[in-house]
Amino acid sequence: MDRAKIKETFLGGIIRNNPTFVLVLGTCPTIAMTTTLFQAFAMGVATTFVLIFSNLFISLLRNLIPDKVRIPCYIVIISTFVTIVEMVMARFMPDLYDTMRAFISLIVVNCIILARAESFASCNKPLYSALDGISIGIGFTGALCLIGIVREFLAGGAFAGISIPGFPAMSGTGASAFGFIVFGCLMALFNFVMQKVNARKDKIKAASLPLAEGKVEAWEEVADR
Amino acid sequence: MSAKVRSMIQGIAVLACIALVCGLLLGAFNYLTYVDPLQPTLDQFSADTGADFSQMTDEEGQSFENGRIIYYARSDGGEYHAFLAAGSGGWGGEVQLYVYLRGSVIEKVVLGDNAETLWDTFESDFFEQFAGIDVSSSGTFEEADVSTGATASRTIRAVARAIDAVVQYYTANLTGGEHGQS
Repeated sequence: MDRAKIKETFLGGIIRNNPTFVLVLGTCPTIAMTTTLFQAFAMGVATTFVLIFSNLFISLLRNLIPDKVRIPCYIVIISTFVTIVEMVMARFMPDLYDTMRAFISLIVVNCIILARAESFASCNKPLYSALDGISIGIGFTGALCLIGIVREFLAGGAFAGISIPGFPAMSGTGASAFGFIVFGCLMALFNFVMQKVNARKDKIKAASLPLAEGKVEAWEEVADR
Repeated sequence: MSAKVRSMIQGIAVLACIALVCGLLLGAFNYLTYVDPLQPTLDQFSADTGADFSQMTDEEGQSFENGRIIYYARSDGGEYHAFLAAGSGGWGGEVQLYVYLRGSVIEKVVLGDNAETLWDTFESDFFEQFAGIDVSSSGTFEEADVSTGATASRTIRAVARAIDAVVQYYTANLTGGEHGQS
């Protein structure tokens, strides 16, 4: 197992290939399911479950699935896991399921899942594919929760259902249009921070390069002697 | 067999196999997570009366001119008759009521699913007026029999029709009828 690839796969979905803030995929549930933190978290967990298992199965079957029928096969596999999520939620969380019913079904056509199946799971080993599912799922859930926290705070003056004294709800902020504004602002903030971090990394790398070159030359001199 | 046909058959076979495995997986999960659709109604009956209801006596219900019985159940001890009744003609369509009889007398009426918008104009004890009505002797129940200060006439009509459906059902089926009278 390549530890570097494991690290790259795991961190990739959370930061560099964050499905919400970087790839801008799955915008529909991002806006519809982030009115509260709890709903955002539940949506994220449901999507993560589907991502992990669909990636795993698609990766296991990648050498058997003919190219011509790969998309129908992926859809059958993805919809199976979405239906399992629906069944489990209907059985154990009926109230939550009633509020999220339509959007749980729509996970089937969530472009994050099909994109990962097509671009990653179909050409990587099962372990890496499952890890990619976990990583992308965490990235998606984290982004939804972040948007959910801001929207719930502004629209309801609350955090995770607990109202915060001294912060009254702002009318109009619960609307989907305002959700897009919050989404856009957080996306801009995320990318700004990432750019700064990357610029800093590049700077450190550039600064350390002459030193390293100097060391190589010194070692070469020692070796020559 | 040409390569094209072979590839097509291979594609169909793989897709069919995947669909079969997925179907089996879903079947297993359905078995594990199955929820009886009648259970929430039985739970509501139990919660409202305090009695045990383990089986729906009439799952099909019965339709009348302006109302219908969706479900009817008798408590395990035979003490209560519980109805989920619906009356048509409300502002937002049907108004559903949970109606509980002890013997032939209405003991309690609880509001069920509806899309009415004027409930805040009704008195808080609006549904209590139906308690004590003997459905075996009332014959029919009409809008005029409902007393209220509210102006939501269509809602009142739907409520009266739901109660009337209970009266009709009781007269047709429970007064010495197929289920017998307690």
